Amino acid sequence: MRLSHMRWVGAVAAVVGLVLAGFPAGAADTPGTLVIGLDQEPPTLDPHASPSAVTYQIIASVTENLLYKGRDGKLQPWLAESWSASKDGRSVTFKLRRDVKFHDGTPFNADAVKFNFDRIVDPKFKPGSSRAQIAGYAGSKVLDEFTVQVSFETPYAPFLTYAAAGTLSLVSPKAVRESGDQVHTRPVGTGPFMMKDYVAKDHATIVKNPAYNRKAPWSERSGPALLETIIWKFIPEAGTRVATLESGETQGIYLVPAQSLPRLESSKDMRVDRMPWPGVPRIWLLNTTKPPLDDVKVRRAINFAVDKEAFLATVYKGTGLKAFAPLTAVMLDEPSLRQAFAFDAAKARDLLGEAGWAPGADGIRTKGGQRLEIILNAIEYGGGADPTAQLIQASLRDVGVDVKIKAQARPPWYEDNYRCATHGPVMFLRATDPDGLYALFHSSLVGQNFNWSCVKNGKLDQLLEQGRRESDPVKRRAVYLQIEKLALDEALTVPLVDELAVWAFRANVQGVKYNFNAYPVLSDATTTRR
Amino acid sequence: MLIYIARRVLAVAPVLFGVTLAVFSMLFLVPGDPVKIMLAEFVTTPEQIARMRAQLHLDEPVLQQYGRFVGNALRGDLGTSIRSRRPVTQEIGDNLASTAQLALASMAVAVALGIPLGLIAALVRNSWLDVASMGVALLGVSMPSFWLGLLLIFTFSLHLGWFPATGGGDFLHLVLPAVTLGAIASAIIARLTRSSMLEVLGQDYVRTARAKGLAGWSVVLRHALKNALIPVLTIFGLQFGNLLAGTVIVETVFSRPGLGRLIVGGILAKDFPLVQGTVLFVATVYVLINVIVDVTYAVADPRIRLG
Repeated sequence: MRLSHMRWVGAVAAVVGLVLAGFPAGAADTPGTLVIGLDQEPPTLDPHASPSAVTYQIIASVTENLLYKGRDGKLQPWLAESWSASKDGRSVTFKLRRDVKFHDGTPFNADAVKFNFDRIVDPKFKPGSSRAQIAGYAGSKVLDEFTVQVSFETPYAPFLTYAAAGTLSLVSPKAVRESGDQVHTRPVGTGPFMMKDYVAKDHATIVKNPAYNRKAPWSERSGPALLETIIWKFIPEAGTRVATLESGETQGIYLVPAQSLPRLESSKDMRVDRMPWPGVPRIWLLNTTKPPLDDVKVRRAINFAVDKEAFLATVYKGTGLKAFAPLTAVMLDEPSLRQAFAFDAAKARDLLGEAGWAPGADGIRTKGGQRLEIILNAIEYGGGADPTAQLIQASLRDVGVDVKIKAQARPPWYEDNYRCATHGPVMFLRATDPDGLYALFHSSLVGQNFNWSCVKNGKLDQLLEQGRRESDPVKRRAVYLQIEKLALDEALTVPLVDELAVWAFRANVQGVKYNFNAYPVLSDATTTRR
Repeated sequence: MLIYIARRVLAVAPVLFGVTLAVFSMLFLVPGDPVKIMLAEFVTTPEQIARMRAQLHLDEPVLQQYGRFVGNALRGDLGTSIRSRRPVTQEIGDNLASTAQLALASMAVAVALGIPLGLIAALVRNSWLDVASMGVALLGVSMPSFWLGLLLIFTFSLHLGWFPATGGGDFLHLVLPAVTLGAIASAIIARLTRSSMLEVLGQDYVRTARAKGLAGWSVVLRHALKNALIPVLTIFGLQFGNLLAGTVIVETVFSRPGLGRLIVGGILAKDFPLVQGTVLFVATVYVLINVIVDVTYAVADPRIRLG
């Protein structure tokens, strides 16, 4: 009896030993393979169905677009060789490349483009962010095998930008028809990488498309990708994600926590890339309808009083830049915007005095017996309110404004924003076209997403509509500059921080490039063995 | 015996009724309009909101909605996830094996650590060894699992490189998560084993066994431990609930697929059907496990059935 027990224990020990010996310690670098840790799992990989950036981080080199928008913000040909907008601004005609095939071998042509756009507006299909980007889509006309005309009910200039965004990237019609739901995990595109597998809550794998013989618009060379395989691992816990990069289990990670940045940057084995997000910065939308913020002097005073340097020095440590306007600097940059509201507490105090708010006994200003109180709508993430709310509170206290933070769960937070019930929330918006400001400021969107400044301004509405109609890039820029200046002059918001997409790679990973969306494009990436 | 089992199973019905009620009312306890919340990240039109409302049957009377919810659940239809657009049952199916693996492995770790620890502590009562093992147990009870998980990653993955920090799949991926969860459960088992063992060691039949001249280890293992483990058995059922709760954190820390991650993801994405369905499923499993434990308990100790 005793002997048999001993044998059993011995056998188990031997098996465990063998199992342990059978696996290499840690994860060895396989040449030609790059493992990247992401902070979340995509809800779907279908470019037309996803509302989430993580989808496009994964498929940025898998599916391709008609146009490409690089880091310089200029539109370039991609699957379309050339394009022209009609005079009335309601349609765009694309001349397509003739040498493109989808990963399943089917040809890319005008029919495929029409199929893709029709799919997004099909009432049976549940689209993600793609639907809003072809707002007012009237249909596509196949003019010949490689020419397609896309039309809208009203002039819609932002379409050209969105034609270059992952949301409107093109998938194989055959694959969609035949695989049905599988598009969610296996989009079939035309790019330098192809989807290989998708394991829920674990990873997604993309592999080299050996047939890719074109020059990707971000690349200097023609031909297939240099890496064989890229594995995207889903690692939600930030500490774990950094640990995998340091142990070599991953060779790259996205969303580096600010507290780990100094350590990674001081290591010669690591490299950190910071890409500014396009769209609307981290911003406080001031509810212009609720006293005392209905007074533009008070709104301006708040803009002067908020110390943005404090945000960068504490919470954002290396993951953000100072914001100046309702669009991030990568979208539209102009010296006059940068000078609008430099930190100036004295000026803030003067403005509040002019508005009739006199210093009170406890340091908080009063007017007619009323204390100067502002309710900031903040999301409670479980560990207290957003730290930016506390920085705003501290800054404004210095000039005699008492900020009450209403920290609450997301649902009532939204509800308060829709009802214009507080003095406004801190939020952000990712968008590649300045038309993102339409959602922020157009009067028709009060009570919806995202006019939470609750602003109804005829001049602003007219400019926002003009921006949608204007297809000439120079004139368009002038329109949005006017919108930004108006928003700053009216102090509708407090722009806080232009956030950066922060990626870290091991130093042996080279050739990672980024598109305008701040998503990595990886056909030129390599890993060398150290 | 059969009557006992039947009684236990029948007693489950009201519990499950309560569970469905709690899970169902989640939708109404959250402040705000659930449809607007679910669609918050999308730019939506009023038609889309109306369509979603109809699709979730939120336009019907509440009682009818509840009836539909329970009816569908009984037929094995837990609805469709908003985020992934797949049936919730399919989502659960994809993640069940990984969580079951983790739960069983952690249970094994908990038993393998907890029982010997408790046993040693009881045998050498009041010695330094007793104090040390109960100290370890106390540490285990008080240690938050995400902290222990990160410590293990730091030591065994980053510095020693023995185990991968993340992912699911083979045996190596299972070790650190299972130890994290198991260590914490083992602390409770150790403390219970110790007190139960101390009680049994004072009993007459143990003295008799020793008087017969049986070897010390034989008395402890074959006579005393067998009886001392009966109360420990109950704690298994309760601990299993803790384990399931622990997977929510441990699966996130180790980015391991599973039901815990599914629930967390569902909550973050405001995916009501997914959260409702998964919580209902996990609660049902928990209730069933406890029925099984109750029955096993009765088998192990015939006195239970009389009571």
